[in-house]
Amino acid sequence: MKTKAFTLTILLMLFMAFAMPTVQAQDKTTVRYWHTMSDPETAKLEELIATFEAAHPEIDIEATRYAYDDFRQALLTGLAGGDPPDVARLDIVWVPEFADLGALEAMDEVLPDFEERASGFFPGPLATNYWDGHYWGLPLNTNTQVLLYNKAQFEEAGLEPPTTVTDFAEAACTLSSGEERYGYALGGTYFWAPAPLFYAQGGSITDEEVTTADGYLNSDASVAAFQTLVDMYKAGCISPNLLGGGIGTASGHADGLYSMIIDGPWMVDIYANDYPDFEVNFAPIPAGPDGTTSSVVGGENVVLFADAAEKDAALAWIDFLLSEEYQLGMAEVGVIPTLSSLAGNEALPEYFGVFMEQLETAQARTPSPHWSEIDNIINNAFQYMLRDEKSVQQALDDAVAEINALLSR
Amino acid sequence: MVPVKATQRETLGGLTLPSKFRALRQQLGQAVTPYLFLVPGLILFAAFILLPMAYSFRISFYDWNIIRPERSEYLELKNYQDIIEWPIFRRAVVNTLAYAAVTVPAQIILGLGLALLLNQKIPGQTFFRTVYYLPVITSWVIVTLLFEYLFNSQAGLINYWLQRAGIIDDPVRWFADEKLAMVPIHLLGIWKGLGWTAVVMLAGLQSIPRVLYEAAAVDGADVWAQFRRITLPLMRPTLVFLLVFLTIGALNVYISGLLLTDGGNPLDRTHFVLTLMYEETFDYFEFGRGAAISYLLTGLVFLISLVQIRLLQREIEY
Repeated sequence: MKTKAFTLTILLMLFMAFAMPTVQAQDKTTVRYWHTMSDPETAKLEELIATFEAAHPEIDIEATRYAYDDFRQALLTGLAGGDPPDVARLDIVWVPEFADLGALEAMDEVLPDFEERASGFFPGPLATNYWDGHYWGLPLNTNTQVLLYNKAQFEEAGLEPPTTVTDFAEAACTLSSGEERYGYALGGTYFWAPAPLFYAQGGSITDEEVTTADGYLNSDASVAAFQTLVDMYKAGCISPNLLGGGIGTASGHADGLYSMIIDGPWMVDIYANDYPDFEVNFAPIPAGPDGTTSSVVGGENVVLFADAAEKDAALAWIDFLLSEEYQLGMAEVGVIPTLSSLAGNEALPEYFGVFMEQLETAQARTPSPHWSEIDNIINNAFQYMLRDEKSVQQALDDAVAEINALLSR
Repeated sequence: MVPVKATQRETLGGLTLPSKFRALRQQLGQAVTPYLFLVPGLILFAAFILLPMAYSFRISFYDWNIIRPERSEYLELKNYQDIIEWPIFRRAVVNTLAYAAVTVPAQIILGLGLALLLNQKIPGQTFFRTVYYLPVITSWVIVTLLFEYLFNSQAGLINYWLQRAGIIDDPVRWFADEKLAMVPIHLLGIWKGLGWTAVVMLAGLQSIPRVLYEAAAVDGADVWAQFRRITLPLMRPTLVFLLVFLTIGALNVYISGLLLTDGGNPLDRTHFVLTLMYEETFDYFEFGRGAAISYLLTGLVFLISLVQIRLLQREIEY
């Protein structure tokens, strides 16, 4: 009798142990969200997740953070292994390649009110989601690059921040002094670095439909844009660090080695942490020969994976990410919103002004699943010019041939 | 009970039927048992080495879509043909072979010298052995970053010393030149591997019987003659082992190249076979081409190791 009671108790306990969590799990839906946010952004995200979960007690957000450089590999592993996230925050230039792999859900197909929603975003960031006839994500945050200049050095030389590319080149050369100081420095030869000055001078990579680079990357305007930089480099007005193995732009600018650099809004946080005494000064990218400024659009889009298990809950989370509440919250840690309704909002930090203004003219990089390869081709073309192995025209003509071979693949 | 014991004691000469069966089972057991012990290892080897190898061999014939494999396009040998004809790949092969040609002999010669020194009876012997082994156990990533700083063109210690010593006037831009960029990469490879080479050599040296040296000394052989006639010939198996192992390691050079040249900078001229394989696979998602590159490297490693072993491995006689 005693053993029977004992066995029954054990069985009952086992039953409860297995039954209880199942009941709970059925109550809550888990949405897996992957991102590459910085420390302050991640802390803010945790707060905002708590807000969301309070409003949606049936949804549990499981956020995972990755290093930017490992993120594409981590996503591939998850997708190939059949264990992908439901929602992710992707760099805007990665969206076409993941769409091309068949990993993403087209937003214009899953959202019934897509048109109405799309009209609420700044057009530049929204455009970065478009590829092959569909929108594969929605703009989550945006950024662009502007000019950072060392005010003390400019005043000492009796100069004003340059408003045209001609003034910019002159100022850079005036401020340069052998290896002691360079007027301007780029982080490298990858396209993101020269992109703002390239676009401001009317440069372009391909036609709008991304079918050819001929007549675009090797156009007169594109050649002239690179020629400006090559001439500056040869005159010793650009630091040689862009060819590799030198002092980085962020620390070099703060130390007074580089009078001007071109970079994004995150520099405010970086300098506040690493160089608290350094005064950051922003100015718009100088205008090209036709008098218009421009820059390059950066940022991240939110995407929904085709294999997502809980699409409804995932869409509720995406809804929240694109709400004014979330975007204003993230703005507190330096993230620029994508909702046009927030333009000029008083809650946004003051330094956003110059970036929001620059975003009106900033251009998106070529949307293509081959972007990483195109980027490397342009990077190499820039190297050939700087190393005097090819003329600017020759380097860009060769790059066009390589890019066209990719586009026709 | 007694008859059973009797049959068990019977020799193979006069077996009864049940005991014949038992012997057969015993023989079978002896044949099967070792394999049973190998099963767990073999399962792991198959699951994590053989199957992925076979899978990537298949991938190398496709334009492979890793997420939707059913969308992959069969290309026959196109990946292999394209890669063999690709100038960047050829350059990567040359860079990889040059890396092996420089770092392997350097490690063996320096390692042997170091082992001979460490084999001396000197105070602090253990201390020196530990110190020379330290680079081996430190992380590749960390020491690579250290070398990146040492060879920084604007703030690096090497340029500073060279300028102070009056050897150069202007700072050398190590990483902006495809030939100069190899200097830190080769030095790092030698420095990092030296300790391990020396320890293996030391084990080889200590296995040589002391009596041989004593006998040679009695016969009037000087230190150099002892080294040439005793040490070198008896170290042959160790040296062949090191040559094959270090060569395979050198052909797989990867982390230092990836971090120091940012994967091929400048102009994709500093790639090694593995950095190129990584770039194709994980930067450009060209899994088919990446798999083809890795199989070409496997072939190269196999061929070189085979030649080395055939040419150098001989029986040693005391």
